[in-house]
This record gives sequence, C-alpha cells and structure tokens, in this order.
Amino acid sequence: MEGVEVIELKKSYGRRKALAGISLRAEPGKVTVILGPNGAGKTTLIRSLMTLIFPDSGQVRILGQDPFRHKEVFNRVGYVQELPNLPPFMSGRELLEFSARIKGVPREEVDHVLELVDMRENANRKIAKYSKGMTQRIALAEALLGEPDVLVMDEPNVGTDPVLNLRLRQELEKRKREGTSILISTHELEEVKRLGDEVYFLFNGKLFFKGTVEELVLRFLGVRVVVETCDRESLLGVLKRLDYVMEVKESGNRFLIRLSSDKREEFLRELVLNEVRVRGFFLDQSLEEAYEAAVREAVRA
Amino acid sequence: MIGELILYEMRRSVARKKVVSLILITVVFEVGIYVALSQVRSPRIEELISPIQPILWLVGVLLPQSLLLHFITISISSGSMSEEYEQGTVDFFLTKAITRLKFGTGKLLGGFILVSLIYILMVILAITFSSLLFGSQEYLNFLPGLILTVLFSSLTFFSIAFMVGELVRRSSLAFLISSSVLIGSILVGAVLVFVARLTGDDLYNVIAIALPSWGATELPFLYAGGIPNASLIVQALEIFPAVPGTQIDAVILTIGYSGIALIISFVSLLTRDIPKRIA
Repeated sequence: MEGVEVIELKKSYGRRKALAGISLRAEPGKVTVILGPNGAGKTTLIRSLMTLIFPDSGQVRILGQDPFRHKEVFNRVGYVQELPNLPPFMSGRELLEFSARIKGVPREEVDHVLELVDMRENANRKIAKYSKGMTQRIALAEALLGEPDVLVMDEPNVGTDPVLNLRLRQELEKRKREGTSILISTHELEEVKRLGDEVYFLFNGKLFFKGTVEELVLRFLGVRVVVETCDRESLLGVLKRLDYVMEVKESGNRFLIRLSSDKREEFLRELVLNEVRVRGFFLDQSLEEAYEAAVREAVRA
Repeated sequence: MIGELILYEMRRSVARKKVVSLILITVVFEVGIYVALSQVRSPRIEELISPIQPILWLVGVLLPQSLLLHFITISISSGSMSEEYEQGTVDFFLTKAITRLKFGTGKLLGGFILVSLIYILMVILAITFSSLLFGSQEYLNFLPGLILTVLFSSLTFFSIAFMVGELVRRSSLAFLISSSVLIGSILVGAVLVFVARLTGDDLYNVIAIALPSWGATELPFLYAGGIPNASLIVQALEIFPAVPGTQIDAVILTIGYSGIALIISFVSLLTRDIPKRIA
C-alpha cells in the first residue's frame, strides 16, 4: 500500500506511554482523521511520522519508504504543523520559493498556491508581521506546494476564517479525488463530518476506535433517528408498540428517537404501514455527542 | 541544498539585533583606534608609533581577535540551533527532504562563513584606515596567513557555542554559558600564569595552555611574532603574553576543542527528539 502506514508504534517518556503500539493506515484517495482529547498522542504520532520524534519501536512507511532512512520521500509530502512556526525574517513569498527550491518544484507554482490561500497581496510582507491566520495560510500554501502525494495536517483549521476553511475543504476534496493520501489531526468535528473517510480515535496513547464517522456515531451514541411529523398521536402510538425504541425526545414537530440497534429500515416501514404522516426522516449524527461519549467510555475503560 | 541552508543561516543571523549590534561595536572600535592614534600625537606616542607606523595595519587585524571577534562568534553560533528550537522553525526544515546532518552542516557552515565575512570586513577597514592615516603599509604578505590563523582560532568558541546551543536549546542560556566559558577561561588562565610566575612551577603554565581560551586567542599572535617590529603591537594586544606555548600547541588545542564540541553537537542533533514548541 502506498500512502501512509504506521505499524505498532511505541513511544514512552519515562513511565508515561505517549504511544502504546499504534497502527494506522492513510490510504490514497481518502481522508484519514486522527481524533482524541488533548494528550491522547495525536501530535506525538504525527511528529514520529514526520521524523521529528524517534519512536522506541514500530515502523513508519510513507509512500512505501521509511522516512527516517529515505528523507527524499518528503519531497512528495506536504505538512502543516500545529500553530505553524515559520522563519519570521522571511516574507511569505521567500519562504515558498525556498521550499519550492528544496522540493524541486517550479517557481511558478508559488503564485498558484498563494492564489489558493488568497495571500498574493500580502506575500511580500515579513512573516513576523503576519497575523496568526495569515501565517496559517502561508503554512497551508507551503504544504500544498508541488502537488504532494501525501498531506499530513496537524490542526490545519486553527486560526483560519470560514472562507479559508471552505476553500481548504474544497481543495482537500479535489486532492482526495486525485488520489492524495490525507492524514489530519483535528478537533474541528464539522470538518471531520464533511471530509473524514476513516477515523482513528486515540486515548492515552492507545487506539480506542477505528472506523468511519457513521460507525463512530453508531458505536458511541447508538442509532438515533429524527422524525419530523405533525401526526404526533399516530407516531407515539407506533413507538409504544416497538420494543427496540429506547428513548424518545420531543421538540415541537421533531422527535429524536434512540433505537437499541440499527433497525432504521424496519422502523421506517412501521411508520409507513401505520400511515404516520412523515415529513422528514433522517439519522441523527451528532459527532460532538459521539465524541464526548467516546471520551467518557475511554476514561471508564 | 547545503548552499540554500548556508544562505538561510547567514540571513537569519544578520536579522538578529544582537549580532548587528556586536558588528557595529567592532566596526566602531576598528575605526576608532586608528582615529585615536592619529589624533593623539604626544611626543611619547610619536616616539612609540614611529617605528611601527608601516605595520599599524596589524593593530586592526589583531584587535578583534583579542575578544570582540569571539563574542560575535559566540553570538552567531550559540543562536544557530537554539533559536530554531525556541522559535519552532526547526520543524519546517526537518520535515523536508533535508537530513539532520545536512541541516546541522548547513547552519554550521553558514554561521562560520558569516563570521569570516565580518572579520574580512574588519581587515578591510584596518588596511584602509591604517593606509589613509599612517601612509603606506608594509609586510602585507603576512596578511593571508594572519587571516587564516584568526579564523581558524575562532573555531574553538564557535564550536563550543554551537554545541551549547544544541544541547540547551535556549539561546540566552547558550550565549551566557559560552561567554562564561570564554571569560572564565581567560581569567583562570591569567591567574594560572600569575601563579606559575610566583611559584616557578611550569605545570600552571601547561594548565593555562590547555584551557580553551589560550589556543583560541594566541595562534594569530604567535604567527604575527614573525613580522619584523611587531612585538610592541603583539604584546599590547595579546591576552597571554607570558605563556610559552607554540603554534603547534595552539593548532592541536583548537582542533581538539572544536572537534570534540562538534562531535557532541552532531550526536545530539542526530539522536534527540525535537519537542513541540510551546508558544
């Protein structure tokens, strides 16, 4: 497999295990998200991947190569560090041109990525004079420079405004379609919901959950459906008869219903058979609540 | 790629106020000493200067070597690695196709080339002002050798400061420790020389020679001793005038201190984790 592969990665600081045997795959054409509360090991994992930290044991493969031995593989990797620290005496353009020379990317591409992050006008100002958001834009531009095959992003949305977030999302979707492996560590659950194909949930250096966003919600929140109807009495009548209905919350014409297992199709069929006039029926995917439930369960475990 | 890193390091160092201030101070000293010598012309000074007037270029060439050049060297190299860690910019480089060895080498060379250029600027000022204010200068054939010995000598504290910066990863602390080693070594050396003179025991001189400051400061003076009539200038500027060391001793000590410091620096750089910068 190309893309990114992490096998049984371990890293300890004294007695504290920052990574306790983490394995992960970020495949081409997918957005793989690393989730977890602060101190879960997300940044240690990413820094190990980027060769900034030496793991105690385990393996890292980027595009099939060990980056510790073959640093040239980083010419095909774009990386955004958490709260980017860039040389303050350089201008944004100088930094990108410097990076282009190192990566062997034509200089013309610099203008393209500057355009992408809307920084052409401010490109000649010193980085020291940039706001946090502008620095983040330059860091994103630098990561996107040279059409990398792998993108590794540690909290890429910190300090960015909604317009840039939208543009970044569109760009990542485009790169994903083109086959780029994208690995993101983030707390921005809205972005995870929109972009994430696969989620790795870390807790205390261990892999606590792996699956899709929907699987994460189903696992930690159960199956919750929202039914919108004006036909309250009929709906409640049906709900009383169904033994897999665990909980019902009413809010105006909206009913939030928790099922004991994934019986969405059967439930919808019951509503239709009993002629409940349904205006809306959808799965409630509150990733925030699922995330909170996952953390609670991880703490208990 | 090393070339890119060398240029980066030179730009980064020049962008620092501490380095610029030290360069300006040295330039002021460099020019000031010639202006002072040309203006204060008492009969006694006339008598002293008259035989050495054709080699007054030596004053400006050796003056920075006594102390200021070492401070500039320490200022540049102590921040070379430590500031990258402090500012978190090391992440930017080491997540590119740049090995740690290349990164360290590029920064080391960049810093040392900058020190060399600063010193050459001082030499140009010395030659210019000595010629303008005291007429035609002689024995300039010694100049290339003298420049090489000064730059070679500066390697000791350049390497020590680079090592301290890499180990402590804090620029202020690295500057403080390296400067303390320089000053401390000079003071201890002076005391040891004094004790040797009092007791007549040569062992104290041997210990004084073994300190990092002796090799780092004495080689150019020992070399300049070969210039006719230079003894007055050499004695006036020399830090350890009474220590009986040789040029070979100074070369061996410089290579020894620099080599050990650089080995420790690179072992640290190649084997230690880069922690996340805490803003």
